[in-house]
Amino acid sequence: MSISPQNRSDPGRGNRGEAPARRGRRRGAARRGAARQRLTGARESAAWIERGIPHFDLLNAEALELIEHNAETVLEEIGVEFREFPRALTLWKEAGAGVDGERVRFPRGLCRSLVQATAPKEFRQHARNPGRGTIIGGDRTVLVPAYGPPFVHDLDKGRRYATLEDFRNFVKLACMSPGLHHSGGTVCEPVDVPVNKRHFDMIYSHVKYSDKPFMGSVTHPERAGDSVAMAKILFGDDFVANNTVLINLINVNSPLTFDATMLGAATVYAENHQATIISPFLLAGAMSPVTIAGTLTQILAEALAGMAYVQLVRPGAPVVFGSFAAAVSMQSGAPTFGTPEPSLILYGAAQLARRLGVPFRSGGGLCAAKIPDAQAAYEAANTLQTSALAGVNFMLHTAGWLEGGLAMGYEKFVMDADQANMLAGLLGGVDLSENAQALDALREVGPGAHFLGAAHTLANFESAFCRSGVADNNSYEQWRQDGSLDAARRANVIWKQMLRDYEAPPLDPAIDEALLEFMQRRKSEFEDRDY
Amino acid sequence: MTDQDANPEDEEIILAELDDGELVEQMHEDLYDGLKEEIVEGTSILLARKWSADKVLNEALVEGMRIVGIDFRDGILFVPEVLLAANAMKGGMELLRPLLSETGVKPIGKMVIGTVKGDIHDIGKNLVGMMLEGAGFEVFDIGINNSVEDYFEAMEKHQPDILGMSALLTTTMPYMKVVIDEMVKQGIRQDYIVLVGGAPLNEEFGRAVGADAYCRDAAQAADVAPAMVRARQAGG
Repeated sequence: MSISPQNRSDPGRGNRGEAPARRGRRRGAARRGAARQRLTGARESAAWIERGIPHFDLLNAEALELIEHNAETVLEEIGVEFREFPRALTLWKEAGAGVDGERVRFPRGLCRSLVQATAPKEFRQHARNPGRGTIIGGDRTVLVPAYGPPFVHDLDKGRRYATLEDFRNFVKLACMSPGLHHSGGTVCEPVDVPVNKRHFDMIYSHVKYSDKPFMGSVTHPERAGDSVAMAKILFGDDFVANNTVLINLINVNSPLTFDATMLGAATVYAENHQATIISPFLLAGAMSPVTIAGTLTQILAEALAGMAYVQLVRPGAPVVFGSFAAAVSMQSGAPTFGTPEPSLILYGAAQLARRLGVPFRSGGGLCAAKIPDAQAAYEAANTLQTSALAGVNFMLHTAGWLEGGLAMGYEKFVMDADQANMLAGLLGGVDLSENAQALDALREVGPGAHFLGAAHTLANFESAFCRSGVADNNSYEQWRQDGSLDAARRANVIWKQMLRDYEAPPLDPAIDEALLEFMQRRKSEFEDRDY
Repeated sequence: MTDQDANPEDEEIILAELDDGELVEQMHEDLYDGLKEEIVEGTSILLARKWSADKVLNEALVEGMRIVGIDFRDGILFVPEVLLAANAMKGGMELLRPLLSETGVKPIGKMVIGTVKGDIHDIGKNLVGMMLEGAGFEVFDIGINNSVEDYFEAMEKHQPDILGMSALLTTTMPYMKVVIDEMVKQGIRQDYIVLVGGAPLNEEFGRAVGADAYCRDAAQAADVAPAMVRARQAGG
């Protein structure tokens, strides 16, 4: 038989070759369990992806300097509004900016120097499971679920408003997805809970049902304060005072406007040394110019102003340069995703952030599709790949995003989380170790044979290739026999199984009780309100 | 991921000290782990304990490979692991085969397998051969680029239950019909089960060329082949 695996005296497996017939008893059964575990993907989540490949640097130095120059011109000449938040105006006046009403104009280089003087290049965000604490910035990529959708979608029940149960489900799914490093924030908006109290339940759910790092509430300064208070119950007052345990999404009301809600939350978090992501939110054509260079200029100006403000509140508070940029359809005004122009913007913005020396947030599995169909997959794939190659450090919206962020999709979540594993493989780069050079394998097999049974293959196959848990690679006949399921239907089976298999990571009962007590007390202190 | 090699519960054992039941169970585990030396030794021990060759074959080896086959079909075990298991099985079979033929025990099945004329692709065909050996078949692999004459010569020589033909190319797969038509013409078509396989084939093609079955992959071939041989033997 030409297939007979030869030279099998040392297959690189087990401790064989010593005394005859001596080896661990019942290994087969143990291995069977291990092999099954491999199948179900029950593997440990990494805390981040360490980049092993270069960044795709789209723009040359001249182009970047041009955009940086233009951004300074915007900051100096046009300025940025800090609305209904007098404290920001006071801080800016003291820092030497020109304040005219709520409009702040910045001497050239002021924002940049404030950021570069004190903002950390990278920082650690702690998790209650120390092994899952992550580092944001540098050559790392942290993949995070989608944020903010008021609706959820699945194949069985279709599209509907999200509930707290959905919220918990997505926290659980993210906890179980090895490719996702973070529990995220508003994984969906639990609209069955009053607006002014749902942040308690969201924070509690992240703590209770996951042990990955998570995000705080930003919809009101008081809610930011509650988020910090709950983090203190979890981590201890002293620990929170000196460490970052929350990261928080501060959107710019683009163009060139910060509102009181966002400034209030950013201020609370900065004062508590918690991280903020200053994110220009641009649908190019509506909230920024229709061109790539013009949009990049605005992104840089807005991000600089926001991050510099945070440094004025508390020098050294961790900040992330954020960018959410899509294009609007000039035909209808609707946002579009996965198109080339936002990819070009993303590459450029990542370069600008690196030149500034702060972590960068962008990207994700963005799409405009309503259901987990082909459009969802290819639009998301375009942005996921771009984000990975660009060097995004904090990739919000990695999993679940549908319909321009209006819906969190159960099946889409599973499909994206599967792609998150692939990104880790892509970013890992090329192993050039002696083992990876595989000359032994080439010598062993030679011309005309195959590598499937080679000793080198046996020693390496388990970790050699990323395996999709969603894709079907079987024969047509096998696929038919398995029910002719498309990717979405297969994902439907997977998320239900994941929720059945879910086991909560253990939480100290005293902390659990203290959190519940805090929530109960705080919720009783004021009336339910839906604003 | 759990690493079985790091399992501190592993204890050294000596196969010869196990009673028959424990030994057979251990051989199932060892087949799963693809431990050829241990399978050869276990087979020798059972034979020394006056087990008949076909009892060793069926209870220790075939049953062990049945478990491997199930886990391969279910995607739990991967190709390199199944090849290792099949190779371990083959080690045991080498001891048993002469004894089986001495005692006149009918083998589970014999198969001649080869890639058709014009085609030198053989990885899939080799996998089928390995899987069938794992299922206890005696497999005669006649390699690649086989003409009608090559197939006929091999059938004449080995008297298999099954003729297996494989092709990867759309341009070579029609040759299967040439072989089968010649078998019909010479009146020997009914003497053999003909299985065909290869990426560009499907059920319909298998029927159209006059094969008994199309096997979409090695795992399925290892299910179909013994079943068809059994059915044929039962049918007289």
